[in-house]
Amino acid sequence: MSSLTPKELYNKLSQEAISHDEAHQEKTRVMVGTATCGVAAGALKIKADFIREVEAKNLQDEVDIVEVGCIGHCYAEPLAIIAKPGHPAICYGHLDDGLVHRLVEDFLAGDDPSYEYAMAALERNDVFPTFEDFPRGVYEQKLILEQCGFIDARDINSYIARDGYSALAMALEEKPGWILDEVKASNLRGRGGAGFPAGRKWEACIRSKGEEIYVICNADEGDPGAFMDRSILESDPHLVIEGMILCAFAVGARKGYLYIRAEYPRAVTHVQEAIDQARVKGLLGESILGTDFSFDLEIFQGSGAFVCGEATALVNSMEGKMGMPESRPPRLAQKGYRGKPTVLNNVKTFAYVPLIIRKGAKWFKEIGTPENPGTAVFSLVGKVVNTGLVEVPMGTTLRQLIYEVGDGLPNGKEFKAVQIGGPSGGCLPETALDVPIDFDSLQDAGAIMGSGGLVVMDEDDCMVSVARYFLEFTQHESCGKCTFCRLGTKHMLDILTGITKGEGDDETLNLLEELAEDVRDGSLCNLGRTAPNPVLTTLKYFRDEYKAHILEGRCPAKVCRDLLLYYIEPPKCSKLCNVCVGSCPTEAIFTRDDGLKEIDQEKCVKCDNCLKACPDEYNAVVKLSPPVLPSEKERKAK
Amino acid sequence: MSEYVTVKIDGQEIKAKPGEKLLWVALDNDIYIPHLCGIRSEERSNASCRLCFVEIEGIPRPVTSCTKTVEDGMVVITRSERVDRLVKTAFELILSDHNLKCRECPANRNCVLQVIAKKRKIKLRHDRFKPIAREYELDDSPAGFAFDRSRCVLCGQCIWADREEAKVGAIGFTKRGINRVVTTFKDLPLAESICTQCMLCVEACPVGALFYKKKEPHTATADKS
Amino acid sequence: MQLLEGEKEQILASVDEVLKNSSKLREDLIPTLQKVQAKLGYLPALAMEKIAEGLNVPAADVYGLVTFYNQFRLNPPGKHQVKVCLGTACYMVGGDITLESFERRMEIREGETSLDRLYSLERVACVGCCTMAPVVVVDEEVEGKVTPTRVDGIMLALQDEEKKSVTEQEPNQGRGEDS
Ligand SMILES: Cc1cc2nc3c(=O)[nH]c(=O)nc-3n(C[C@H](O)[C@H](O)[C@H](O)COP(=O)(O)O)c2cc1C
Ligand code: SF4
Ligand code: FES
Ligand code: FES
Repeated sequence: MSSLTPKELYNKLSQEAISHDEAHQEKTRVMVGTATCGVAAGALKIKADFIREVEAKNLQDEVDIVEVGCIGHCYAEPLAIIAKPGHPAICYGHLDDGLVHRLVEDFLAGDDPSYEYAMAALERNDVFPTFEDFPRGVYEQKLILEQCGFIDARDINSYIARDGYSALAMALEEKPGWILDEVKASNLRGRGGAGFPAGRKWEACIRSKGEEIYVICNADEGDPGAFMDRSILESDPHLVIEGMILCAFAVGARKGYLYIRAEYPRAVTHVQEAIDQARVKGLLGESILGTDFSFDLEIFQGSGAFVCGEATALVNSMEGKMGMPESRPPRLAQKGYRGKPTVLNNVKTFAYVPLIIRKGAKWFKEIGTPENPGTAVFSLVGKVVNTGLVEVPMGTTLRQLIYEVGDGLPNGKEFKAVQIGGPSGGCLPETALDVPIDFDSLQDAGAIMGSGGLVVMDEDDCMVSVARYFLEFTQHESCGKCTFCRLGTKHMLDILTGITKGEGDDETLNLLEELAEDVRDGSLCNLGRTAPNPVLTTLKYFRDEYKAHILEGRCPAKVCRDLLLYYIEPPKCSKLCNVCVGSCPTEAIFTRDDGLKEIDQEKCVKCDNCLKACPDEYNAVVKLSPPVLPSEKERKAK
Repeated sequence: MSEYVTVKIDGQEIKAKPGEKLLWVALDNDIYIPHLCGIRSEERSNASCRLCFVEIEGIPRPVTSCTKTVEDGMVVITRSERVDRLVKTAFELILSDHNLKCRECPANRNCVLQVIAKKRKIKLRHDRFKPIAREYELDDSPAGFAFDRSRCVLCGQCIWADREEAKVGAIGFTKRGINRVVTTFKDLPLAESICTQCMLCVEACPVGALFYKKKEPHTATADKS
Repeated sequence: MQLLEGEKEQILASVDEVLKNSSKLREDLIPTLQKVQAKLGYLPALAMEKIAEGLNVPAADVYGLVTFYNQFRLNPPGKHQVKVCLGTACYMVGGDITLESFERRMEIREGETSLDRLYSLERVACVGCCTMAPVVVVDEEVEGKVTPTRVDGIMLALQDEEKKSVTEQEPNQGRGEDS
């Protein structure tokens, strides 16, 4: 046992970290966003470009080039932050080699920050606006994403220098019960989808009085349109680790696991490094910060099954079995991993804990709404201008989120629906846009908060096809254990597929609705119970679209390929241009004797290429639904 | 703790051992509840067939009786509009993936599906759901029995017999979702697997998926091989 | 599938090495399978059998697990792996059309490997760069905005690379051909 108190030990770590960090800050720092989203947009190449250009100017001794995580402005990727002493740190987006060359030449070698290419400054200053000055800044409030993209995820000093692990040092001087009381008082609700109060879950676990207790972080993020958890793990892994250690101290656990999705290799690497670094600093492992509290963490990699996000399935898979859900009770808090009491929380849930301990339950409760304190984190995608990660206080309306934070829909298109909660969620129409974002209001509206995927849809999106997409996903990911989910989703999918081809009548819609309700009420686990949500909400709010498909053979959004055809309008076709002919992958477009282009409907695979290829000044390619050529229509009219 | 608890099922007062599951208590007292997957000696039911729904006073939704432990004073009804609707749909879903050529089936008149249909007055042939078309090969490699997957309802009884009674581990569930099947390692024919042909699985099968080959007396054992 | 010469030894060696550091508990089954697949690229029956023995788990259960999880493969992957994202954002802008184009060009279906073991095609859910939808991952490189015409371009590039490597190596056809 050490003679120093946890706080004293922590202060030493903190001083080390700060001086380490300051040494860095004397130099110019180029921070390239290299979370998965950045890498996909070419961030590693941009980093290499910076290194090359910096070396060409012989600046390598004055400039550090480091990798940071995702700052949430994914639409502007690849991006980098340049912090040069004497200037505010500035973020540049949409980088390419030309721009990198310029920035190195003008800003790093010269002293001109090239404001014309800057997106925003990171701190208040007299010369350039910050992200908070963006219209979305008014609505955004970053708690758990605050440091993402600004700190070096791969260096624990970067986290400690910003008060990281101070909550742990504080808590270790108190009784475990104090943490539990704070978390309970904060009314923190689980961010994995259902919103169950975290404090109550921990308490149930303590009451089970197990000799061994496990703490597991659910990072299986399987929603096919969400990546917040990945982003946090990649960009600020210590925040989650600190949260888990605090939880372990509160419930008396000695061992914890992070269950991370196999498709997230970068997250796995960053978290593993973070665990190793925390051990070296004495923040993890035996006698943490000199106390007699010991706790260690290990990563368990999932193997790609959406259902393993479900608590009991997750435990089964950790035990070396198929990821099959079990009926409950017993709950995990009584009988979880290895049959022992287990706390399972989402990545975000754990991430809030250090902040709550550091700043107090009262601070947390002042954000958001009384029943739903704190913030909501979404990955905002689809037909919206500013795609990326957003964090807003609970209670923000969908309208504010989409139009203010997301800056509305691109290309002047009409809003049609917003899909929240991924495959377990629902599609809400225009009339629901003033619903405040919180667990209870969304549930009342027929959607769920879910895992935080938020997809905006416009007039060009077909609701039947969207419902079918999500159902295909859940059907494919159903574990197959129980009757309703295994067979019910299959029949629902078959019916929906039929509707996208124009098959069915009013009875079909009734059957679909009945079956959806039964799958919801009869399935064993929440995968099956929530799978019908996309179908039920679209049937409720967009039934007319379903009817247009089956009664008129028409897809109003012109998406369902069996109900449309591609047609080149003769008056618009220029004759002289050949772009469409070249664009067609199946050589279905030919030039007629009169020079006009025409599509051989037999050969057309409806890939949309020619429509995209036809130059804007002509726009001669159109989609027709129902799939009837004008000539046939005339013939029929006669 | 008292030696027994009293529950009321369909108006009938019943004494039951604490800790017992409602399904078995009802069945022991001649109150019928449809079921395929429940295994009496297992502490936690698979709860996969979704046929054993009942209503319990104070619980807003129908619950599966195989997972519900009896509690003193519990009031249960086995039939209600909601229960019947769920059971009918679950049953019809199972039938939509079951080979319905009953006349060719060795389990004809001795099949749990026929019992459920009769007791709950649900037709075996229905037109709500289109039959799911699949091709399965018959595995008649063992000497005394055969396995026709087109009749399998995935209740898991055979696997339980293989694991817990025979202690062999020759068969198990494979694949996921709609493709889930009972099979051997590498999908080998049973006779080429580690199966000892003890036929306990055949005894366990509630339908005609695992069946004794013709002219074989029901008491046959593996001594022929 | 017939194992080629030397493959058997390689499989046994890989499994042995992974099992050496294993706790030999059932809990270790998934990590073990992951490690062996990382070495071999897939999980041949022989490897599954050895792992089942090593961890004292019925082989039928190992097989069940391998066929349950998306990550595990029973067959060797192609030399070039193309994964088409069908996450929500990608699907909404035609990811399925992109997938179809690959199927047409490779003459295989999603989830399959071409006969010459050159290409395999898979679908994945959200790669995490939805702003570049539709997204395709070609041999770990993320390609954004992949329209059917881009598919042709990607395939041509892969074929070119193949031609080059063949002329470099001369007639040796490696472990390619399935006979
Ligand atoms: C099919 C299915 C998938 C799920 N996937 C996830 C997931 O990826 N991440 C997660 O945190 N929770 C997921 N959940 C919810 C978990 O079961 C569990 O409720 C949650 O992890 C508890 O953490 P929380 O209380 O912090 O929300 C899923 C649930 C179901 C039914
Ligand atoms: S609802 Fe679906 S995923 Fe859940 S247990 Fe049933 S089959 Fe499995
Ligand atoms: S017996 Fe209860 S679900 Fe099958
Ligand atoms: S949906 Fe394809 S990258 Fe997210």
